[in-house]
Amino acid sequence: MSKLSCILLVDDDQTTNFLNQLLLKKLGIAEQILVAQDGQEALNMLTQPAEPQAPTYPALILLDVNMPGMNGIQFLEAYQQMPLSQQQAIVIIMLTTSLHPRDVERVQRLSIVTDFVSKPLTAEKMQAILQNHF
Amino acid sequence: MADRLPLTTTELAQENELLRQQLQEAEELITAIRTGTIDALAVQAAEGPRIFTLEGADQSYRTLIEQMNEGALLLSQDATVLYCNACLAGLLGQRMEAIMGTSFRSFVPAEQQVYWELLLAAGWAGRSKGEMSLATANGLLQPFALGLNVLSFNNTPMLAVIVTDLSDKREISAIRARVVEQNDLLARTNEELKAQAQARQAVEQAAAETSRILEGIPHIAWTADPSGHNTYLNQRWFDYTGQPLRRSIPHDIRAQLHPSDLPVVMEYWQQCLRTSQALEMECRIRSADGEYRWMLARALPSRNEQGQVIQWIGTYTDIHEHKLGQQREAEAQQQLRTNNEQLIRVNVDLDNFIYTASHDLKAPITNIEGLVYELQEQLPTDGELGEAVTPLLSMMQEAVARFQRTLSHLSDVIKLQKEHHQPVTQVDLATIIQDVQLDLQPLIKQANAHVEVNVVACPAVSFSSKNMRSVVYNLLSNALKYRHPQRTARVQLHCQQKEGYIVLEVHDNGLGLNQDQQAELFQMFRRFHVGIEGSGVGLYMVKRMVENGGGKLTVRSEAGIGSTFSVYFRHDAQLPA
Repeated sequence: MSKLSCILLVDDDQTTNFLNQLLLKKLGIAEQILVAQDGQEALNMLTQPAEPQAPTYPALILLDVNMPGMNGIQFLEAYQQMPLSQQQAIVIIMLTTSLHPRDVERVQRLSIVTDFVSKPLTAEKMQAILQNHF
Repeated sequence: MADRLPLTTTELAQENELLRQQLQEAEELITAIRTGTIDALAVQAAEGPRIFTLEGADQSYRTLIEQMNEGALLLSQDATVLYCNACLAGLLGQRMEAIMGTSFRSFVPAEQQVYWELLLAAGWAGRSKGEMSLATANGLLQPFALGLNVLSFNNTPMLAVIVTDLSDKREISAIRARVVEQNDLLARTNEELKAQAQARQAVEQAAAETSRILEGIPHIAWTADPSGHNTYLNQRWFDYTGQPLRRSIPHDIRAQLHPSDLPVVMEYWQQCLRTSQALEMECRIRSADGEYRWMLARALPSRNEQGQVIQWIGTYTDIHEHKLGQQREAEAQQQLRTNNEQLIRVNVDLDNFIYTASHDLKAPITNIEGLVYELQEQLPTDGELGEAVTPLLSMMQEAVARFQRTLSHLSDVIKLQKEHHQPVTQVDLATIIQDVQLDLQPLIKQANAHVEVNVVACPAVSFSSKNMRSVVYNLLSNALKYRHPQRTARVQLHCQQKEGYIVLEVHDNGLGLNQDQQAELFQMFRRFHVGIEGSGVGLYMVKRMVENGGGKLTVRSEAGIGSTFSVYFRHDAQLPA
């Protein structure tokens, strides 16, 4: 299993980002780890470098649902508007505590989310993601 | 006589004899006339025989004939008119003198001659009757009825003829017919008048009867004519409104109606009058003391035999108290609805609050757990610092764990709320209890408890299988957990049927609860016993599950003696279909 070039963490909670960053570093599975605090910031990161093959272009996004500003679901809806080539290059995992049934339905309709993983993110869960999707 | 010569004795004697004979003849004639032997004398005159009638015994008949209103005549054998009365002269428009002595044939028109001869012949044979025309003075023919009869005068047969003017008769019969017709008309008019009078009387009688009945009923009653004008109000109206009793009409009902109701009432009333449909509505009418009371107004059209509306009969019934009661009830219901809506909102808010709280608390507590773990990695476990820090960290981890358990219980409660409609199946209590007993085997062993189960007679219960398991698990584990330390725990589970319910009873000889504790028993997170593991949500959950399924949960308990929990499950199969 080769190292992923880049993983993008999207969560408004700095502590969660800190702990997840710590976990990913310990596991040593990514060359680079990016952090965005809301959907808009994440979207900007995806559109500005433009090149999906660039080393700073994320291969995996770990996305929180409840965020101020553009939340996880709104991000997904905006993401769906992007060119297909860019979409296909990325695996999106939603990190959830407990999802409202209404939101689950909304996410499933978009059918661009690869998987759901419950918080907190652990070494075991991360290993499983890598095994299943890379 | 002076210029005549004196007569001889012989001549005188002869003359005397002649006179004597004439006298005798005269005397004999007089005697004959006197005795009625003759009643007429025919004297030969230059112009023909002349009849001289004599008054005698038949005077009255003669007068009768002269005065009667029909023509009468006597014919000789050659049909010469020997006698006629004035009436006949009038009928034929001739003088009597012109008729008498002429042949009757001169009055018979040519085309009737044959008929006349036949009639005449039959007359001479005895009597005959016929109708024929006769010529009158102005040449016009007129119809007559003739009656012919043979009479004998001094052995001389004569034909008596009675002539009746048929034109008169016809005129009379025409008049009579007219009279009859007019009489009929009069009779009919009379009948009609009589019928009208009877009808009027019937109507008046009916009206009187209606009034009599309407006076007797305990409501305000009234009548109106088909155009809607009031024709009658019973005593109750005057009692209620305090209007001076007037038998004269019209009475103005409108003045007593509530101004807000008046337009609606009048429009509806006009509509009923147009369509002849029954009226029923509620309105307010002012009473004698000025209070507007609610009345139920009802009216029906009254019809005659032809189906025409002849009047309206109506009533007002006082429904004031009823109406106020209704209004109060409606207000109370509105209040209740408002309260319910508020409660529902509060409940939804609470659910959302609990959901959000548990959700929003989960992330930070997870982070705290992660940070504490990271801290533990960073800090030394030995040395002075390690000895001081290690118990602190372990207490922090315990506190975090406790926090997470509470969150998890809250999540369970929320889940229960959200899973209100669990699939209901026929659940066999015995099987469930057996499973739960197996799950709780370590606890039963640890407590060295006796568990007696007697639910064989119990039919299957309609309930969510998952919830039933939860109910039995909670009650049985409670009975074991809160056992009395100084005696062997005894738990009995049995079941009975009671008024549409299947009742599962869980009886223990454990710690028991006092009255105050029982009152708070089913509250969330309420715990009574220190030192015994428990979340405080178990019984709350049991109660919610049972009540959501249409049942109830009760408890009988005595501190230091034990408790009996009774779970009532709805048993609809027992209800009549």
